[in-house]
Formats: sequence, C-alpha cells, structure tokens
Amino acid sequence: MKRFAILAALCLLALPAVALAGDMNLSVSPPEITIDATYDGAILHVAGEVPEGSQIVARFSGTPEKVAVKEKGKALGLLWMNMNTLHFSGVPSVFLVESSAPLEGLGGAGCDLGLTGLMRAVTVEPSTADAVAMRSELLKLKRKDKLYREHVGGVTLEPAQNGVRKFSAAIAVPSRLSAGTYTVDVFAVKDGVVAAQASRSLQAKMVGIPALMADLAFNSAVWYGVLASLIAIVAGLAIGLVFQGKGAH
Amino acid sequence: MSIPMELYLPIAGNSVNIPAVFGLGGVVGLLSGIFGVGGGFLMTPLLIMMGIPPTVAAATDSNQIVGASTSGTLAHLRLGNVDVKMGLLLLIGGIFGGAVGVQVIKALRAMGNADFLINITYVLMLGLVGGYMFIESLQSMRKAKAPVKKEAEKHVKSSAFARLVGMLPWQMDFERSGVRMSPILPLLLGGLVGLLSAIMGVGGGFIMVPVMVYLLRMPMHVVVGTSLFQILFTCVNVTIMQARTNHTVDFVLALILLIGSSLGAQIGAIVGKKLGGEQLKILLASLVLVMMFKILYELLARPDVLLAYVGGH
Repeated sequence: MKRFAILAALCLLALPAVALAGDMNLSVSPPEITIDATYDGAILHVAGEVPEGSQIVARFSGTPEKVAVKEKGKALGLLWMNMNTLHFSGVPSVFLVESSAPLEGLGGAGCDLGLTGLMRAVTVEPSTADAVAMRSELLKLKRKDKLYREHVGGVTLEPAQNGVRKFSAAIAVPSRLSAGTYTVDVFAVKDGVVAAQASRSLQAKMVGIPALMADLAFNSAVWYGVLASLIAIVAGLAIGLVFQGKGAH
Repeated sequence: MSIPMELYLPIAGNSVNIPAVFGLGGVVGLLSGIFGVGGGFLMTPLLIMMGIPPTVAAATDSNQIVGASTSGTLAHLRLGNVDVKMGLLLLIGGIFGGAVGVQVIKALRAMGNADFLINITYVLMLGLVGGYMFIESLQSMRKAKAPVKKEAEKHVKSSAFARLVGMLPWQMDFERSGVRMSPILPLLLGGLVGLLSAIMGVGGGFIMVPVMVYLLRMPMHVVVGTSLFQILFTCVNVTIMQARTNHTVDFVLALILLIGSSLGAQIGAIVGKKLGGEQLKILLASLVLVMMFKILYELLARPDVLLAYVGGH
C-alpha cells in the first residue's frame, strides 16, 4: 500500500502542478510539500481573486479512496474488541476546510462543501451496517486524528476593487501525512451558490532521510532489520564502554 | 538557525517531539535503573500514549532493547555472570517462540485484532507480575518477623514441581548455575517467553527473571546476566522479523529512546543504591498495577470511537 503510494507519487512528480479547472486565479505556495526529517506539518498559503460579495471556502484534501475499518463491539459481553469489517468508499485520507464565514451561514452550497457534504457522499459496505451511525463514527475517528477539520478564520479578504476581492488563506496541514497527491480547492460562494471555483493538485513527497528509510524499510526489509539491530548493538557497546560496565542491570 | 525539535518518522507516519521521546527514554531508564528491571513493559504503552501506532511501538521497543541489553550483557560477561549453556537453550526456544509470535501478530493484524491481543497480553502479564511482586514484597516484609514459616511453605511447592521436572529425559548439569535438569525445560520456557515478548514488544526480562529464579532455580547473580544475554539475541531476532514481516521498526526512534534510557539507567542505578528496601519494590509493583488497570479500563469502557483502522496506520 505504502510502496504503491510512494511509486505513484514519484510518477506524478513528473507532471507539473497545473490548475485543473475553474474561472479563478489561484496561487498555492509552497507548490509541493516536502516531508524531510524535521517535517512537522506545513502551512499552505492559497491566494487569488473572487467576485465581490462572495465568501471563500478553501479546502485541502487527499484523493478519495476505499478504506477498510473494524467496527468495535463487545466480545463475550465484556471486552471491547474489533469485530466486523466495514468498507467505506470515497474517503480522503485528509480533509481540511478553511472558510471566511461559518459554512452553515453560506446556504446550501456551504454545507455541501464541508464535512457534511463529504460524508453524505461516503458509502458503507455491507449494506446491513447502520450507515448514518457508522459515517458519524468515521468522522469522529478522522477528527480525533486531526485529519478532518472545519475551521473559520484562516481566510483574509481584502476590500473590493473593480468588482473583485483579493483573498488569501492559510491551511495548516497536519504532521500525520503520507506521500501522495493532494488537492487544493477554492470556492467563492455568493447567495447560497458557488459563483467561482478553482482547483490545483499538490504533491507531498518524502525527501532525505525519511525517503531513504521508507525505501529501505519497505523494499529491503531484511537488510533494514539487520541494520537496525547493528546500529542498536554498536550504540549499546559504545554506551557500555562509556560507562565502563558499571551499568544498571 | 534553531535546533529542530520535531522529527518525522516515516515508519510511524507521524512526527514526534525529540525532547519528549528522549525524556520518555530517560524516565523509563531511570525506573529500570532504580528497580533493576528492563523497563520494556513501561516503554511500549507510553509510546502508544504518545501517538505511535501500537505495532510500531512494540517492534521499535524490541530494537531499543537490543542496544540496552548489549551494554548490560557486556558488563555481566566481565563479571562472569552469564551461563552461556543455559542462555543458548533459552535462546533456541526463544527464537521459535518469537517466530510464532511474529506470525500471530501478522495474522491478527490482517484481521485487525493485533492491538487487542497486545493489550490483553499486557493486562495479563502486568497483572501477574505486578500482583506477584506486591505479594512477594509483603511476604518478605513479614518474613523479617517470622522467617521460619515462609521457608517451609516454599519447600512444599518446589517438591511437586521438582518431581515433574525430574521425569523429563536427558538430564544434564549446568555448572555455572549449579543446577541439573533436562534441556527440554529451558527450551520450553524460552519458547514461552519468546512468544510473549514478540507479541508485547518487550525483552521479556520481567517474565524471564521469575522463570529462571523459581522454575530453573538459578542463583540470582547468574539470572540477571544470563537473562540479558538471552534477551539480546531474542530481540535481534524479533527486530529483524518484525522489520521483514510487518515493516514496523523505526530505528531512529529506537536510537533516541536508547540514548535517553541509558543515561536514565545510570542515574537510576545511583539513586537505587541510596534508596533500596521493600518499600521500593512495592512502589514498582504499584506502578505496574496502575499501568495494568489503565489498559484494562480501556478494554472495559465504551470507546470514544467505535471504529478502528485495519493495520498499522
């Protein structure tokens, strides 16, 4: 799974980051997320122009995919453990929403663009499962991991000039991120409908030590294990020599 | 330029705060230095609390123990406290037990229940060891008042077990430990400890030491050295197998923990010498029991979220 994600990321790296669609100017910086050894989340700056009188909804999301999870139930009527497998479809790994006003206040379009709209599109298998309850549990799980979020206040709107308003949005991307393709969407919502939108794809790739380690751990797993043991033994010997064997044990 | 405090761990798929991990290693090392236990049984649950996936925490802890037991074994080899013959027999058993344990974890991971098994093993082992230590310290406090009674009690228990052990074939001498028994016994016991340590991601020291003292009847000074010798190899084996089968070893995390715990253990050894006594033992037993109750509570109470990811992350 992860090996595939890394491969996919490498293939897609060859493509330039292009604006996919829309009638709005959009700039995203940085143009890609690099996960190096000191990566601890990133701030994405999104800027552009929207028609006067509209509010902004900016999103950062992973590609919707199938996710298998376990439903927890009581075993022997006593202990909580994982029971049935559920398959959700259309679940992005991460889904962050920044808006200039609360989504509920933006009419029908507002809610569709947020977590409510996202979860409405998620399907659950098997069909015997309580879809409404399980979708809300999935949302709880993702929110707890800080991977799904709706937030107001990260968007700055400048005063209108010649019928357009400049905006900038800051989206905080979490530290818990794997390499892959992500999407930045910006919507201008006016009078309850989407007046303009733009979308841009964004790569997250591991570089430096994390890239080396992930490659070694997944593609040369035995050597990785031997190396990990050797490093520990050498470190242990060094520590033993430093303290001259007057150790604790 | 400031010193980076956060480190991204590609195996865990998350970043951790370096001083926090270092501190965690230090605290566990300090406790293990004071109380004379390996501390793996504390390290893994604490790593899980820090947001490391349980399977990664367990495998990485094995890697950390490789380093910790290397320095320990070195010290005990110098003192002649290692029964190599006994250690090798326990080791062979441990390798088979460890192999079974890794496969068990792999199968359960595919089913999504590895974390459940890790938790339940913890509850059982922490409960057993914590409860045992608690009772044992209470008894030795009482023993100070009435030493004769305890001696008699111990004798009755051992003779039943000794008869059973005496029936096993191929009796041989273990000179360093000064005992005579069938090699089947250390092989079996080594296998059991290996199985448990693969599942729990611990060196197995806190299980192995009571096994050697009470079931193999080895003298205490040889027990500690031989246990470390055996644990070193078991954990190398578990580390390589976890890396190969489950891709859950993060050696950067292990290295930071190792440095922290080695420093902590040195300080702990000094503190432990100054303190000492049965009260300390009871304190450790309480610590173990608190950890057990915490994990038990999580198994019994209704979870916040009724879904869990399948696999590591």
